[in-house]
Amino acid sequence: MPLITIVCHGLEDDLRVDGRGCEDYRHMEIETDVVSNTDGSAKVTLGHTAVLVGIKADIGKPRPMVPNEGYLEFFVDCSANATPEFEGRGGEELGTELSNTLYKVFNNKHSVDLKGLCISAGEHCWVLYVDVLLLQCDGNLYDAISVAIKAALFNTKIPRVHISADEEGGKEIELSDDPYDCMRLNVENVPCIVTLCKVGHRHVVDATLQEKACSVASLIISVTHKGTVTCTRKVGGGSLDPESIFEMTKAGKRVGKALHAPLMKLLQQEESLGKTRQKVGFLG
Amino acid sequence: MLKSKIFVKKTRAGGVMKIVREHYLRDDIWCGSEVCAECKQESAELQRDACIESNLCTYPHYVIPDTNVVLHQIDVLEDPVIRNVIILQTVLQEVRHRSAPVYKRLKDIIHEKEKHFYTFTNEHHRETFIEREPGESANDRNDRAIRVAAKWYCQHLKTSESDADGLKVVLLTNDQGNKQKAEESGLLVYRCEEYIKSLIGNPELVDRLALSNDDKNEITSSKLLFPEHLPLSKIQAGIKSGSFLQGTFRASRDNYLEATVFIQGDGEESTEILLQGLQNLNRAVYQDVVAVQLLPRDQWVAPSSVVLQDEGAAKDDNEEEEDEEEKALRISAAEAARKPTGKVVGIIKRNWRPFCGMLNASHIKESTRHLFTPADRRIPRIRIETRQASTLAGQRIMVAIDGWPKHSRYPNGHFVRSLGSAGEKDTEQEVLLLEHDVPHQAFSQAVLSFLPEMPWAITPEEMARREDLRSLTVCSVDPPGCTDIDDALHCRELDNGNVEVGVHIADVTHFLRPGNALDKEAANRGTTVYLCGKRIDMVPELLSSNLCSLRSNVERLAFSCIWEMNHKAEILKTRFTKSVINSKASLTYAEAQMRIDDTTMKDDTTNSLRALNKLAKILKRYRIEKGALTLSSLEVRFHMDSETHDPIDLQTKELMETNSMVEEFMLLANISVAQKIYDEFPDCAMLRKHPAPPLSNYDILLKAAKSKDVEIHTDSAKALADSLDMARVEGFPYFNTLLRILATRCMMQAVYFCSGMDTDFHHYGLASPIYTHFTSPIRRYADIIVHRLLAVAIGADKTYPDLMDKQKQSALSNNLNYRHKMSQYAQRASVAFHTQLFFKSRGILNEEGFVLFVRKNAIIVLIPKFGLEGTVFFDTKDKAAPHLVFDEDGPTLKVEQHTFSIFDRVKVTISLDASNIQHQKIRMSLIEPVIAGVSVPAPEVEPLAKKPKLDR
Repeated sequence: MPLITIVCHGLEDDLRVDGRGCEDYRHMEIETDVVSNTDGSAKVTLGHTAVLVGIKADIGKPRPMVPNEGYLEFFVDCSANATPEFEGRGGEELGTELSNTLYKVFNNKHSVDLKGLCISAGEHCWVLYVDVLLLQCDGNLYDAISVAIKAALFNTKIPRVHISADEEGGKEIELSDDPYDCMRLNVENVPCIVTLCKVGHRHVVDATLQEKACSVASLIISVTHKGTVTCTRKVGGGSLDPESIFEMTKAGKRVGKALHAPLMKLLQQEESLGKTRQKVGFLG
Repeated sequence: MLKSKIFVKKTRAGGVMKIVREHYLRDDIWCGSEVCAECKQESAELQRDACIESNLCTYPHYVIPDTNVVLHQIDVLEDPVIRNVIILQTVLQEVRHRSAPVYKRLKDIIHEKEKHFYTFTNEHHRETFIEREPGESANDRNDRAIRVAAKWYCQHLKTSESDADGLKVVLLTNDQGNKQKAEESGLLVYRCEEYIKSLIGNPELVDRLALSNDDKNEITSSKLLFPEHLPLSKIQAGIKSGSFLQGTFRASRDNYLEATVFIQGDGEESTEILLQGLQNLNRAVYQDVVAVQLLPRDQWVAPSSVVLQDEGAAKDDNEEEEDEEEKALRISAAEAARKPTGKVVGIIKRNWRPFCGMLNASHIKESTRHLFTPADRRIPRIRIETRQASTLAGQRIMVAIDGWPKHSRYPNGHFVRSLGSAGEKDTEQEVLLLEHDVPHQAFSQAVLSFLPEMPWAITPEEMARREDLRSLTVCSVDPPGCTDIDDALHCRELDNGNVEVGVHIADVTHFLRPGNALDKEAANRGTTVYLCGKRIDMVPELLSSNLCSLRSNVERLAFSCIWEMNHKAEILKTRFTKSVINSKASLTYAEAQMRIDDTTMKDDTTNSLRALNKLAKILKRYRIEKGALTLSSLEVRFHMDSETHDPIDLQTKELMETNSMVEEFMLLANISVAQKIYDEFPDCAMLRKHPAPPLSNYDILLKAAKSKDVEIHTDSAKALADSLDMARVEGFPYFNTLLRILATRCMMQAVYFCSGMDTDFHHYGLASPIYTHFTSPIRRYADIIVHRLLAVAIGADKTYPDLMDKQKQSALSNNLNYRHKMSQYAQRASVAFHTQLFFKSRGILNEEGFVLFVRKNAIIVLIPKFGLEGTVFFDTKDKAAPHLVFDEDGPTLKVEQHTFSIFDRVKVTISLDASNIQHQKIRMSLIEPVIAGVSVPAPEVEPLAKKPKLDR
C-alpha cells in the first residue's frame, strides 16, 4: 500500500502514524540562555526538529515612519547540518521565506512592545537581531521557530541605558556598569505559530515529514495567548476550500491558545531557578 | 572549572557589545607562605617569621593592602622595612587599570627578592573567586573579593601546621565600609595610617605616608580658596559641545600666577590660552591635562612681563598680599596685546610625578608641617608632613603630591626619598637628570646581553659583504677628549681629474638589531646626553667608545657616503655603501687646523685635509648664497680640574675652520641621504625639518635693530641672512654677534618627523628643501633609523615591519624630539650649575656686558666673556622700588633718570647668590651706569693670585 493511503486512511479514524491525535504536538524540549554571548537565546527541539534562536540587542536609529519604536530583524540560517538539501545555497530560499514570515508575525507593536525598545525618539532605539539557526529538520519548522523566538525574547536581557543631555542638546548614551541592571521584554502578547497540514480531508498539527509529503497545502496561523489570530498564510501548491480554511483556523486558534499557557509556565519556572539551574546545552 | 565573565561595553560606533570571557578556576594556586605544608609550592616568598616591630600587631603577620592603599601609599610599600606583603590579583589588576606608573613600581617591588612580596592570583583560585552579585558595584565586588581572599588566608594559615606561632594576616584598608565589613567577618583590619604609625621601630616611615582625604581638614583654613573642579562627565560634555577646551597646562617659569594652556588643534591649528591669577589656575599643576573655559573677551589680558616668584612663608590667610600681586598683573594692556584668557574648570588627567626640591623648614619649631620648594619653578610649593625636618634641611629631596584640596593654598604631599646634600655635584647632577626625565640608570642585564662578545673582530663573511676601504687615507676630526667618534672623512684625486670625497659613519645598526632590548633601550633614550664632565650614553660604552667608535688604526665597520666631485665642489655621482675602514688619524679640530696651516707637512692625511678644507669653503659659500643662516649662540667650555672635576676656568668655544669643514661634509651627507631615503620610501622616511618662524617672532629682533637704525629683513631666510651680514654699527664690533644671538632666539625648534605624516619638509636654517640626520648614530637614535632605511634602500640589510609603519615612526619621532629637547635643557642646566661652581670659586667679579632684553622690572645682561646671561632686577622686595617706566615699543625701561634699551653697554658685578641654596643664582648688580639708589659701588675684586693654578 502506498504511504499516502496509509496516512490518509489512518487520519480518517483520527489516527496518525506515530500514534498521536490530530491536534497533538510531538515531544517538545525548551531551554533558554544557552548561548552566553547573546542577550537572549533559546533552543527548542520538536521531535527531531531542532532550532536555536539567539537575540542580540544593538543600538540603532528608529525607522523614520515610526520614530518612537524599535524594531526586530530576522535572519534564518539553514545550516547544511539540518538536512543535506541545504548544502551550498540550497537553504537560501527557504531561509528568506521563513524570515519574511517571521517579520510579518513578530515585527509589529501588537506582538512585541516596540515602544519599549525606543531609547530616544527619532534618534536611538534598540534593534533586536533575531538569528534563527536550523540545526535539524524534521518537519514543522514554523512552530518550532516561533516557540523558540518567544522563549528567547522572554530570556532577553537588554542592558539598561541612560540618556544624559548636555547643554547643547546633544545626547549621550551611558551604559550602566552593572551587568545585572537590565531591561526585560514583555512577551505576553508574542504569538506562536501553528501550522495545520491538510492531509486528505483532515488537517493535522505538527506534521512529520511523512505527513507533509502527503499534504497538498498547509495553513500557517499565528495565535496569541488570548486566541487572537494575528497572521495567516497558506503555503504549499494545492488549494484549500473556504470551508476547510475556516475549520483549520478554528483548530489553529484552539491549539495555539492551549500552547501558550504551558510554555509561559515552563519559562517562568526555568527563570526562577536562577543560577542554580543545571544547564543542558548541546551535549545533553 | 570554567566560569565566564560577562560585561557590556560601548563600542566606538556607539553600539553596545556584550563580551563574554572564559574564566578558568584552578585548585593549584599556592599560598606562597613558608609555613604552609599543604601547598606544593617550589619556593615560598612569604617568610616564616614575618616580624615587624609594631604595637598593634605584636604577632608575626602578613599584610594584605587593598587597592587604594597601594595606589596612595606606594612610597611606603617601597620602603625596605615593609616586607611579607600579599598582593592580591584583584588589587594588582585595579592598580594597573588606574595608574600605570604605580603599577610599574609595584611590579618592581614584587620582583625584588628581599621584599618578600607575593602575588596571590585569587581571581583564579577556586575558593576565592567570587562572582558579582545583582546590585553590587564593581568596586564593592572587588572589595568583597579582597575580603574573601583575606579570609581564605586566615583559615588556610590556621589549618596548616599550627606550629606557625600564631601567624596572621592583616588587611589594610582606608575605606570605612570595607573595614567594617571585614571586622564583621572576623578579619584583622587596620587603616593604613594606623598600621604604619604602630611600627614603633621605624618612625621615619610616617613621613612617607601620603595624606589621605580625612587628614586634610586639620591643616587648612575652612575658607574655600579655589572653585570646585567639575566632574569628568560634565567636562567631557563641555568639551564635546565646545564650551570647554582641553589642553596641557604649562605654568610660567617666571611668574607663579600665570600659565598657558596649550590646545592641540587639528594639524596646524594649535592655540594657547592664557591663565592668570590663582583662582583661574585653580590648582592645576604643570603638565596636567586640563579643561579650560574662555573668559568673555572684555576680561582678556595680556601676558605680563613681571617676574614673580612665590616666596616667603606659607601664606594661607594673608590673601591681601596675594591680591596685590595679582593686581600688579592686571595692568591695562593695549587691546592688541591681549590674548585669549581663560580659567581652569576641571582636571582631566593629573600628571604628577615625584618632584625634586628642598624643604623650607617651618619657622615654628617642633612643627611637622613644612613647605617644600620644587627645583622646577613651574611646580607650586608643596606642603609635606615630616618629623625629620632638621635632617632634611640642606638636602635635595623628592616629594610626591597627594592631592590639592580646594581650601588649601598649597598641594599636600609626602616625602619620598633624599638625594643627598644640596650643592654637591653628584646630588645636583642626579636632580637635573631626574628633572629633565633623562633615563640615566645603568644598562640592564637584558640590554647588555645583546652586546657582541669580546674579543670582537670582523668576520670573513662580513668582510666579503662589505666594500674594503681600509687602504684609503681616512681620518677623523673631533673635539678634544671625544671617545665616541662617529664620523671620519677621506678625499683623494681621481685619475679623471675629479676628486672623490667620502664620509664614513660608524655602522651602529650592525650591532643594534631592530626590536631587541638593546634597540628598545636606545630608542627610549633617544640621544646621548652630554653634561659637563659626564656623558649619559644612548648605547652601552662597549659600543659607543669602542666597537662603533671610528678610532685610528683599527678596523671598523662603517656606512660610507661617497661622492665624486669636480673641483668646483659640484657633485657628479653619489653612492652609499657598507664598508670597512681603517682610520689613519684621530685628530682634534686644533690639530687638524695646525696640519693644514703648517706648510711643511706634506703627508697624505694633511693633503686630503687641505683638499677637504678647500671644497668645504666652496660648499659653504654655495649654502650661504642659497640663504642658509649663520646664527650665533655662545657655547661655554669649562676647564676642569683633573682630580676634583671642579671647573677652574671657563671660556666660550672657539670655532675654527676645521669645525666648519667637518660640518659642511656632514650637512652634505645628511642631505644626500635624506634625498635617497625619501625617494625610496616617500611614506616612512625619517626626516628633520626646521619650520620658518612666524613673522611675529621677529618683532623683538626688528625692534632691537631699529633702535640702532639697522634694517633687518625677515621676508625670507636669504633676506635675513643678508641683512644680518650687513648689520654693523660703527664702534660696536660685538653688535653683529648680539644681533645673531637675538635672531637665534626667534627661531623655531627643528624636529624629526615621518615623511608620510607631513608635507612641509623645508629646513629653514640650512636653506635645504630636505634634511635628515645620518652622521651621528652613536649618539642619536634618529640616525639609527635613517641608517636602517638607507641600508634597505641599497639592499644591504633586511627591513622589518615597524620601519615601514608611519604611525610608529611618527610616535618614535615624537619621543626623539622630546628627548632631544630635554637633553638640551639638561645640558643647559648642567652648564648653569658649573658656572655657579666657577663663580663660587672665583668670588666677586666685575664685568662688562650688554643688555639683551628689557623687561618690565629688570634687564637681562649678557657677559660675552663667559657667555653668561643674568638678570638685573630693579625692584627688590626689601628696598623701595625706584621709579620705573617701561615702554613696550622700544622696548626701553626708564629707571629713575636713565633709560635702558637693548644693546646698551653696562658694567655689572657678578657674584653667587647662595641665599636660596636650591636656586643658587648668579646675581648681577649694576655698577655702570651709575644710578643713585639703584647701582652699587664696584666691589674690590680679589687678586687673581689666590686662585688655583690654571691648567697649562
